[in-house]
Amino acid sequence: MSRYRTETENLDYEKTSACTNFLHYSWKTITCLFSHITLVSMVVSYCVLGAFTFEALEVNNEKQVKRGIPRIRENVTQHLWNFTQELNALEEANFTRGAKRYLRSFENALLDAMTKDGWDGIEDEHKVQWTLTGSLFYSIIVITTIGYGHIAPKTTWGKVVTIFYAILGIPLMLLCLSNIGDIMATSFRFLYWRVCCYVCTKKPKKMKRSKSVRSGIRSDGSKFSRSRNASVRRSVRTSTKSADSGFAFSDIGPASHSDTELRYDDHPNRGVSLPRTRSYNKSQRASGNATPRKISQVNHSTPNHVYPQRGYSLDRKRATKDVEIELDPISLDNSSILCNRYVIGKNDGFAKKIPGKGITLRQQEIQNRANSMPADRRAKSMPRTPNYLEPPRISSPDEEEEVEKRGSRRSRSPMRKHKLPNRPSPSPRMMTPLGYGYKSKYLDDSDSDQDYDYYEDSYETGRTRIKPVPIWLCVFLVVGYILAGAYLFKTWENWEYLDAAYFCFITLTTIGFGDLVPAKGVSQDGYYATISIALCSLYLLFGISLLAMSFNLVQEEVISNVKSVAKTLGIIKSESDDEDDDG
Amino acid sequence: MERKRSTRRHRRYRRPWLKKCREFFRQFIAFLFSNVGIIGLVVGYTIAGSFIFMTIEGKHIPKMKLEVRNNRSLYATRLWNITMKLNSQVMNKEEYMKTMAEELFKYQQVIVNFTRRGYDGTDDDYSAQWSFAGAFLYSLTVITTIGYGNIFPHTPVGKITTIVYAIIGMPLFLLYLSNIGDIMARSFKWVYANCCLCRWCPGVARRRALRKVRREQKLGMDSESGSDGSRGSSEASSESVEINIPIELPGVRDSLGSEALTAYSDEAYENVSVPVTICLAIMVGYICGGALLFCKWEEHWSFLDASYFCFISLSTIGFGDLVPGDKIYGRGTDFYKDVLEVSFVFCSIYLMLGMALIAMCFNLMQEEVIHKIRTTIDTIKYILGCNR
Repeated sequence: MSRYRTETENLDYEKTSACTNFLHYSWKTITCLFSHITLVSMVVSYCVLGAFTFEALEVNNEKQVKRGIPRIRENVTQHLWNFTQELNALEEANFTRGAKRYLRSFENALLDAMTKDGWDGIEDEHKVQWTLTGSLFYSIIVITTIGYGHIAPKTTWGKVVTIFYAILGIPLMLLCLSNIGDIMATSFRFLYWRVCCYVCTKKPKKMKRSKSVRSGIRSDGSKFSRSRNASVRRSVRTSTKSADSGFAFSDIGPASHSDTELRYDDHPNRGVSLPRTRSYNKSQRASGNATPRKISQVNHSTPNHVYPQRGYSLDRKRATKDVEIELDPISLDNSSILCNRYVIGKNDGFAKKIPGKGITLRQQEIQNRANSMPADRRAKSMPRTPNYLEPPRISSPDEEEEVEKRGSRRSRSPMRKHKLPNRPSPSPRMMTPLGYGYKSKYLDDSDSDQDYDYYEDSYETGRTRIKPVPIWLCVFLVVGYILAGAYLFKTWENWEYLDAAYFCFITLTTIGFGDLVPAKGVSQDGYYATISIALCSLYLLFGISLLAMSFNLVQEEVISNVKSVAKTLGIIKSESDDEDDDG
Repeated sequence: MERKRSTRRHRRYRRPWLKKCREFFRQFIAFLFSNVGIIGLVVGYTIAGSFIFMTIEGKHIPKMKLEVRNNRSLYATRLWNITMKLNSQVMNKEEYMKTMAEELFKYQQVIVNFTRRGYDGTDDDYSAQWSFAGAFLYSLTVITTIGYGNIFPHTPVGKITTIVYAIIGMPLFLLYLSNIGDIMARSFKWVYANCCLCRWCPGVARRRALRKVRREQKLGMDSESGSDGSRGSSEASSESVEINIPIELPGVRDSLGSEALTAYSDEAYENVSVPVTICLAIMVGYICGGALLFCKWEEHWSFLDASYFCFISLSTIGFGDLVPGDKIYGRGTDFYKDVLEVSFVFCSIYLMLGMALIAMCFNLMQEEVIHKIRTTIDTIKYILGCNR
């Protein structure tokens, strides 16, 4: 798959040299869409494959069990007849006592058949559970880890295949759902800020000056972080543009570079949390913190690396620089606020390093922050230099200064390690719907840059910066979805309203008791059951990705909220997950 | 949250105690969410849940049992009536069998319906399903999202309680998972670094560190020399870059400062990447070990059944078609005997520990796998870029 994508990308390289940006990005959209479609179709075909396999494996066993039931009944009847014959005088008390005993054993036999052999209570051999639809539903239930258990494999091979099917299928499903959740989150955020909050996101005068073509998408971030968005967007835009027009080869421009790296950098922190790494990197996960750094990096690198090498006229260069300098104080202001708000206690040193808002301090601050950038990002920027055909930067005096500073920071870090509560950051939550939100970023990372270039340029850069959609909206969305589902199932399955809501909740949280299952025992009418099962699977697939989406949307804000709560309680970053997942 | 509010109330009324109270609660909460406390918190939450569900759901099942029993006597009398009716004529076996079979078929359907509604086949008055052990395992399966479904709430109150309980409990359990998984991952890395890679012997460690630093340097040179594909290789090693760079740069000037080296070997175990195969082996081993114990405990389970059960449980699929039987869901009337039942305790611990272990393994594997994928993709890109 990746090979194919790469080939299309290569074609793309050639095209961009001749064509406009528009064509370039539309092409990217197509490839991106294509990769998502590939993923979804992979999951679908995996499910269908599973359906055929399980049907073939299990259907005979089920038929055999069904054939066994009349035999049990016959047996009991025989016993009863013998019992009647044995009784010398027919006496009611005696007879009923004996009959009860036989009925009891009959009961037990039936119970065994139902619980151990998976008999569904219907003797007709033509109405089996392991139809193609039933098996399809079973496959979905397995790989989403819901596991109702209303149908379960009973043969040896069925069990073995289920294990391996789950091992492969669960990660695949997670990948797919998190991707879908990601797309949904992006589009939902876009919708929310575009449609619902259009009024409060009118651009200020300053931004109109920039005449950005693509301002619509990200500039409407929020009233809160608008200026930050503006500066970032603009610098990103200019750098992308320069990259596009400058070299046909540097298709993955500086903007996308810095972004991929940033997201990539996030990942060691999030994966296995290393306490001392954290003292360096200071929780890039904290949304507010990552933002100013990103800005600083872009601002810093753009004028230094890109422009001197480009064949632009001087005045243009100066113009862009002016714009950036003009915007810097704003972004710095915001960043310092954000630092104080989100990251206190975590990195006091960092927060202190940004002293104030003075314009005269601006350059120094940039320098400072460039220094305080995590070392690994710095490291990444060095391999990157060859792309811009720059001389190696190591020899520059300013770098040496940085090295010294870094050295001092480094020597300080063990001390801080002791000071900080040695609490691990949340590690990946696997196999839960609530984990999809976290998972998504990993999985994005694992894909090649190319798929996400478009996103990175237009959406994803904005994502961390845009003030998240309010939590209550997401909660409302999820609750509304559950209630709507309850209504749907109430009408469809004739359950009580509470039962239906309970079913929806149990399903979406992937607990999956299986006490209430659609099309179980109501009527085994083939058509009806098929429709019902299809409805249920659609509902749960969409619902889980909706959960992933809303989790994706609120996680940053919730984490920061919880962090501040934890701060006031005197514990930092401990119960972050606790409320995090309630959203 | 409640505690926080109460601190505030304290603040208002008892000024002099303010500091003490706040400090105390702060410490208490900090302890609760610390690594040790979280275990206690989860266990306590589960126990509380089991008592809640015992009281809520305990009454329901006996009623159903009564129904089943009444139903049975009803059918027994019906059978008696049929026998009497047939007895008045000449007793004909075929006819008798036929009518009996019809009657039994009706009875069968009734029983099927009862079973679907949660009848478990036991006959005593004591609500065996919602014994302490059963309720405890129920609570555990809710917050871990395993959800066997062998016992489930029947009353509306029980259902609502389950929803609320899950909403609070699942994040709590996730917190537990991440905390414990993290600790385990770190300690496992430490063990791996010290034992398997022989970091204890100083000579080996030093040599290894030197080699690593040299490699980093070489890599840096490579990337500076400006080939297009260098990006991939540098990213491949980026996992260790964040540590190594501060060393590397001083190293450029004063030829591998020894200070940096010692610091390096100090921190080294954090950066050890445990091979994927070892993680997989641990998971498989855990499942097989559990399977061995379970198939010893449960008479009817084969080894395959037991390992299937372990897998289904630990992957949180939780079909519930195979559930640990009477021994674990203590059917006895003795409360304390239930609690102290070894197999029940073992089962709970197995689940809780196993999920943390799997979280740990995924934790360790994720990085590795992602790096591998990225390198592969970059390599492919590089190759294609060359061929083009």
